[in-house]
Amino acid sequence: MVSIKEQFEIPAKMKTWAMALIAIGIISVVIGFIMHGTGTEEEQSVFWGTIMYNSIYFMLICNATMFFVCAVTLAMGGWHLVFQRVAEAISVMVPIFGVITFAVFLYIIFGGHLHSIYHWIDKDAVAKDKLLDGKSGFLNPTFFMVWSILSIGLWSILGARMRKLSVEADESPMDYEKGKHFVWRNTVTAGLFIVWFALTIGSVTPWFWLMSLDAHWYSTMYSWYTFASTFVSGCALIALWVIYLKNKGYLEYTNEEHLHDLGKFMFAFSIFWTYLWFAQYMLIWYANIPEETIYFKPRVQGVYKGIFFFNLIINFVAPILILMKKSTKRNYTMMTFMAVLILFGHWIDFYQMVMPSISKNTLTLGWLDFGVAALFIGLMIHFVGKALARKPLVAKYHPYLKESIIHQA
Amino acid sequence: MHLKYEAQIREPLVDGDKDYHQVSEDICRPIEVKPSRLWYIGFFISIALLLFGVWSIYDQVVYGVGQWNLNKTVGWGWDITNFVWWIGIGHAGTLISAILLLFRQGWRTGVNRAAEAMTIFAVICAGQFPIWHMGRVWLAFFIMPYPNSRGPVWVNFNSPLLWDVFAVSTYFTVSLLFWYTGLLPDLALIRDRAKTKFRKFFYGITSFGWTGSTKHWQRHEALSLVLAGLATPLVLSVHTIVSFDFATSVIPGWHTTIFPPYFVAGAIFSGFAMVQTLLLILRRVFNLQDYITLGHIEAMNKVIVLTGSIVGIAYLTELFIAFYSQNQYEAYAFFYTRANLFSPYGWAYYGMMTCNVLSPQIFWFRKMRRNIYVTFFMSIIVNIGMWFERFVIIATSIFRDYLPSSWSIYYSPSIFEIGFYVGTFGLFFTCFFLFSKYFPVIAIAEIKHVLKTSGQNYKEQVGGIELQKVEEFAGEYAH
Repeated sequence: MVSIKEQFEIPAKMKTWAMALIAIGIISVVIGFIMHGTGTEEEQSVFWGTIMYNSIYFMLICNATMFFVCAVTLAMGGWHLVFQRVAEAISVMVPIFGVITFAVFLYIIFGGHLHSIYHWIDKDAVAKDKLLDGKSGFLNPTFFMVWSILSIGLWSILGARMRKLSVEADESPMDYEKGKHFVWRNTVTAGLFIVWFALTIGSVTPWFWLMSLDAHWYSTMYSWYTFASTFVSGCALIALWVIYLKNKGYLEYTNEEHLHDLGKFMFAFSIFWTYLWFAQYMLIWYANIPEETIYFKPRVQGVYKGIFFFNLIINFVAPILILMKKSTKRNYTMMTFMAVLILFGHWIDFYQMVMPSISKNTLTLGWLDFGVAALFIGLMIHFVGKALARKPLVAKYHPYLKESIIHQA
Repeated sequence: MHLKYEAQIREPLVDGDKDYHQVSEDICRPIEVKPSRLWYIGFFISIALLLFGVWSIYDQVVYGVGQWNLNKTVGWGWDITNFVWWIGIGHAGTLISAILLLFRQGWRTGVNRAAEAMTIFAVICAGQFPIWHMGRVWLAFFIMPYPNSRGPVWVNFNSPLLWDVFAVSTYFTVSLLFWYTGLLPDLALIRDRAKTKFRKFFYGITSFGWTGSTKHWQRHEALSLVLAGLATPLVLSVHTIVSFDFATSVIPGWHTTIFPPYFVAGAIFSGFAMVQTLLLILRRVFNLQDYITLGHIEAMNKVIVLTGSIVGIAYLTELFIAFYSQNQYEAYAFFYTRANLFSPYGWAYYGMMTCNVLSPQIFWFRKMRRNIYVTFFMSIIVNIGMWFERFVIIATSIFRDYLPSSWSIYYSPSIFEIGFYVGTFGLFFTCFFLFSKYFPVIAIAEIKHVLKTSGQNYKEQVGGIELQKVEEFAGEYAH
């Protein structure tokens, strides 16, 4: 009989790191604000745009971990239960990052009125622009804000419900009937989450937050592309936390078998992302309609050219070559490397989705981007650590747990 | 120690008190007894339908493609609709055999054999349409790129239609190999059980001398894994490329970036519906309710509601972007010709929406998912809906093109187009009837593989594990 370390205790080093990163982040934001925050409209837009894409990216990848939990629950999966609490803990970031994101939107739209970020908030421009005027039934500040509150709010509420349900599996052994009922209730909540997730990330939310940065441009694929980018990052994020906890001597039941399967998810969805990338890019390139190719103009031919192709290399070439091998997916060092690479790669992806629309002719990637990212990473380490410490790392009496313990990839 | 164990709350995949021998008996029975009268009736109806198709094609080859009601504006009609429809149906098999294998969905073992067979027959049917549409079918080999004495004249590598040739033929080859690899041990089993000379000879040849030795199994497993790896991207690639046929153009209603994944989802949707139609009949006629359980049917209905909803989101996305783009041509295609009940083809659009998006939503309810009659009815509805989808995409986008003077009058098929389509049903069902008579419709070896973890009687035996403490369980079995 093995006794296991069920309860996570936050190491002092982790606290230090979190605080250090948050400090770096705050200092960067403050310096950034002093330098750009009161400058020209363009300078302000770059500053707020940088904060915006970071907050959206980090919120969505954390939300993707809850999507992972719900999707596996609906598919009646059992293999992930030895580390499900890790994914749950990461998803506590959704309301926290959600508030930040929402505050940033509030400032951009109502505070600073930064119409070089969202062109459609400029009433005069809209009145003169037939296309934007036609869209204004959808693209208007009120609808944008209401939809943002609904998106973030319901992700947070349904995510919290999933986490709350999960705690019930800590209490006492479940017999057949109780176990069945427990799984059923999980399924219902997961189903609600997935439906809302599909209506938000699968359609409307990325149109508002990201696609409308190029207010005239449109692509039906856009939201699914955003989903793929955040989901693969979410899987990488789970893997990273799992490896960290493993290194600290926790998660005894989690082993290479589970890591292998997480690796498969990272591999498969890297390719899925590339598939959507290719489908969107190739179809726009092939048809060559100016209204559509305009989006790729600054990205492929302008100053963002390097970033654009780097995005493809880091998010497709690297995962397909490195993660294809079985031994890589079962190797903790390699998986750590790949998880970091994928997270960085899709952060770059978000960068190139947002910034070329705000600053077409100047490449903005610099210390501020990394500083702001440090803030979000620091916050994540702090709060996820706390969430992990709040309850046991394994839901002991979950009816599928034993399947997960003997899982073979 | 390695333990095969599955939680008790999971439904067994094989019902009843079965052992290995009983499994062989149950599944081989239809092959070893004389076909029923029902089988003969069905088979001859299929042959009759096939002959109708042969006659239609004969007439079209002799008198030309002009026998069809296509015209300069509607250059693609029933032929391409039916091509895409059949190709779509042919997606479930490989999804089940490859992707569900990777996702370790144990229930696939009950349905994969029939689904893969269906896939192969559906792809054969699909292939007929572009081939006969060529008109001079004896020159069909021109679509293959090779250094030739005709100039040389090369095929157009920039055309998605050519990519289709590669995609479909690759898909067909890999599906066929995958299916046949899985069949080998089962064919050998029938050979070993055979009492008649013919059967011994036939299954002796088709089982390629399979002996069931460890070496054979090793190679079999390795090959299956490689083929699963190859087949997985193929599930996506075929319908992706079919969608490129439309989406690379600049025709409103065709050119939209969401097409590739949305076509794939739609294909899986219709494929599963066809699998349901066939399996519900099969399990009843061959008494296979213990192997194709309500659990299997429910799982497939879940796939149907999932893919149906994905397709639904794609339809709404298209509609929305037609508004959002403020592009008047897009708006014309979507709001005037399609989503307009009073336009000539409005009925087809609303038929599609009802069948594909609204009606599958009843599968959110467990009672409905497990109701055989509802499932059967829905499986037909879904495939009608998916036919409408292709027809809506193809016909409504082209029958009124950029130039009003060339607008087509209402396109409806001629008897030869209908006959051709009906004929492919004949071909499909003829193949399927022969398959169900001469081949095991369920993968016997794979059922035996899951029997001891997921069979009802075996699950009962390991019920004690459920009560064991987690720490003890892990100490004993974890690796």
